[in-house]
Amino acid sequence: MTTFRCKPIRQVNMKHTLPYLTWTLLALLGCIAPSHAQWATALRINEVMTYNTDNAVDDFGQRNGWIEFFNTSYGTVDIGGCFITTDMNLPKMYPIPAGDVTTKMKPRQHSLFWADNHPTHGTYHVNFTLDSTRSNFVALFDVNGRTLIDSITIPPLKANESFGRMIDGDNKWGILPMTTPSSNNVILNRTAKAERFKENDPSGGGMSIVAMSVVFSALLVLFLCFKQVGKYFKASSKKKTLIAKGVSSQDTVPGHETDETGEVYAAIAMALHEYQNDIHDVEHTVLTIDRVTRNYSPWSSKLYGLRQTPGKL
Amino acid sequence: MESIEGMKFFEFVADNLSNFFSYTAFANFELGHIVMILVGLIFLYLGIAKDYEPLLLVPIGFGMLVGNIPFVGGMQIGIYEEGSVLNILYQGVRQGWYPPLIFLGIGAMTDFSALISNPKLMLIGAAAQLGIFGAYMLATAIGFEPNEAAATAIIGGADGPTAIFLSSKLAPDLMGAIAVSAYSYMALVPVIQPPVMRLLTSRKERLIRMRPPRAVSQNEKILFPIFGLLLTCFIVPSGLPLLAMLFFGNILKESGVTKRLAETARGPLIDTITILLGLTVGASTQATTFLTYKSIMIFGLGALSFIIATAGGVLFVKFFNLFLKKDNQINPLIGNAGVSAVPDSARISQIVGQEYDKTNFLLMHAMGPNVAGVIGSAVAAGILLGFLA
Repeated sequence: MTTFRCKPIRQVNMKHTLPYLTWTLLALLGCIAPSHAQWATALRINEVMTYNTDNAVDDFGQRNGWIEFFNTSYGTVDIGGCFITTDMNLPKMYPIPAGDVTTKMKPRQHSLFWADNHPTHGTYHVNFTLDSTRSNFVALFDVNGRTLIDSITIPPLKANESFGRMIDGDNKWGILPMTTPSSNNVILNRTAKAERFKENDPSGGGMSIVAMSVVFSALLVLFLCFKQVGKYFKASSKKKTLIAKGVSSQDTVPGHETDETGEVYAAIAMALHEYQNDIHDVEHTVLTIDRVTRNYSPWSSKLYGLRQTPGKL
Repeated sequence: MESIEGMKFFEFVADNLSNFFSYTAFANFELGHIVMILVGLIFLYLGIAKDYEPLLLVPIGFGMLVGNIPFVGGMQIGIYEEGSVLNILYQGVRQGWYPPLIFLGIGAMTDFSALISNPKLMLIGAAAQLGIFGAYMLATAIGFEPNEAAATAIIGGADGPTAIFLSSKLAPDLMGAIAVSAYSYMALVPVIQPPVMRLLTSRKERLIRMRPPRAVSQNEKILFPIFGLLLTCFIVPSGLPLLAMLFFGNILKESGVTKRLAETARGPLIDTITILLGLTVGASTQATTFLTYKSIMIFGLGALSFIIATAGGVLFVKFFNLFLKKDNQINPLIGNAGVSAVPDSARISQIVGQEYDKTNFLLMHAMGPNVAGVIGSAVAAGILLGFLA
C-alpha cells in the first residue's frame, strides 16, 4: 500500500494540502474497495430444498437438495472463498473455491449450490447433504471463517418443498408456494392482473375511462408543450424577419404583418422551377458519360464509405 | 427364385412409396388447411390485383400458404416447432422485437410538421383511441378474458405493429388472428370509414376550410421527438419500446446529420422487417390454431373497433369545434384520420372532402391527427400492457 509522508503543519498551505488529501482519500478508498468482507455481507441464504425427487436437476442429471444464495446488493459480489456449513462448530465445512470466475454474483442475482456431497463435481457441489427427515441448519461464513453472514434453520420439509424468504432478501421465511431455484422467490403470475380486472371491472368500463384519460393526458401534455414551443418559434421567426428587413418592432403597423404560409412559398418555387426549365430545356437532352476510375478498391476502404462532400445537408 | 426376389423388391418400393406418401401434404391435409390457403390466395389477390396494402397483404398472404401446407410433425419445419427456420424467424414476432423496429422505420419516414404547426390536432389522435376501449368493453361483454380483450381491442388502433406487439405480450395464442384482422381492416379503411364520416357530419361541416398550416422550423422538428419521448414515456413507460423507437427514428430524420442512418431505417431495415414480419405472421395462421370461434369473434370486434374509432375521431372534432372560433374551426372529416393507419385514413379525409368541395385540400391537415394516432395507439398499448401484463 502506498504511504504518504506529511509535511509539518506549519509549512503546509491549502494549495499543497488539497492534492495530498485527495490522494490519501483515494488510497484509503482503494484499500477499502477490494475488501471482500465488506461486500460478502450482502449475501443471503434465500431458498433451500432438502428433499428433491421431482425438482431441479444438476448438470449430471441428478436430483439433490439445494441451497440458493441471493446477492441483495446492487454491485457484483464474489461468493468465492466464503464457507457454507451445516454445523455452527464447523464453520469451514465447505470452502467455496476462490478464484472461480463463475462465483462472481451479479447485482440482485442468485446462485445455487447442490447439497449432494460431491465436491468433485464442481464449485457448486458441496461436501455434505441435507437430511429431509429433520431440521437442517445452514450457515454462510465470510472468507475469514469466523464472521457469520447469514444462517437459517430449515424445518423438516416434504418432497419437493422449498423453504425460503417470501420476497428475495426479505426477513420473512416460509414454505414457498412455488419452488424457484436460481430465480426470484416471488414470480408474478401473468394472469393475476387480468384476474383482478375480471373480478373488479367485469364490464371493462373502469379500465376504459382510466386508460382513455391517460391517453388524453399524454397527448394533452404534448399539445400544451408544443403550443408554447410553437408560439416561441413563431415570435422568434417574426423577429428575425423584421431584423432582416431592417424594421424595428415599433415600426410595424398592426394588421400588416406578413405570415406567409407554405402555399406562398410553394407558388414561388413553382414559378422559379418553370422559369428555369424554360431556359435550360436544351441541356436536358445532352447525354454525358462520366467515367470514374477507381483503381484501388479494397473492401475495407474508408474512401467509399464516406460521402463525397461530408457535411451538414 | 428371381420372381420372388422381384416381388420383394416391389414390396420394398411400394412400402417406401407408401411411407413417402404418408409424409406428403396430400396425406395430411384437412378442410381447415384448404380454407386457410384460400384466404391466403384472397389476400394475394387483394394485394396484387386490387393494390390494397400490397406491402403487407402479399407477404401475409404468401405466409398463409407457407403456414398451411400440412406436414408430419417432428421434422423441425413448422413455425411452431422449436429450432426450425420459420420458428427462429418467428421469434421476432413472438418476443415482440419486430414491431419496435418497424416503428423505427415509421419514425424515420414520418413528417410531424402538420402536427407541430397545429398541435391541437393531437387531441383528435387521442379521441380516436376510443375504438380500442370500446372494443375492449364489447370483448369483455362477450366473454373474452381481460388480457385477450385488450389484445383484440388494440386492432382499433389501426396499427399493425402495435397490435402484434401487444398481442405477443398479452395473448400470444390469438396473435395470428389479431394481426391478420388488423391488417385486413387497415386495407379496408376506404370501405369502412367513408360511410361513418358521412353519417356523422352535415354538409356544412364537410365544407369547413381550415387555416393553412404554418411553415415549421427545423429546430421545432428536432425538439418534437425529444419532447415527445420524454413527455409520453414519463406518463406511460410501458409504451417505451414503441414510442422510443418511433421518436428515435424521427430524430434520425430531422437532425439532418444522420441521413444515412435515417435512410437505412426507413429503407432497407423496415423493408427487411416487413418481409419477415409479414411472412411469419401469415405462416402463424395455421388452420389448427387459427380457425376457431375466437378468431371469428376477433374479426367481428376488429370491424366494430374501426367503426367506433372513426366515429370517436369525427364526433370529437365536432365537439371541439364548439370551443373554437369561427375562423379556426376544424373540418370533422379529418377526425377519421386519428385512427392511425398512416397514410390511408388521411387519404380518405382528402377524398371524402373533395367530394363536396374540389378546392378544399384536407390531406395535410389530416396528417396531423394521423401521426398523432400512431402516438396515441402506442400510448394506449403501453397502458394496456402496464395494466394487464
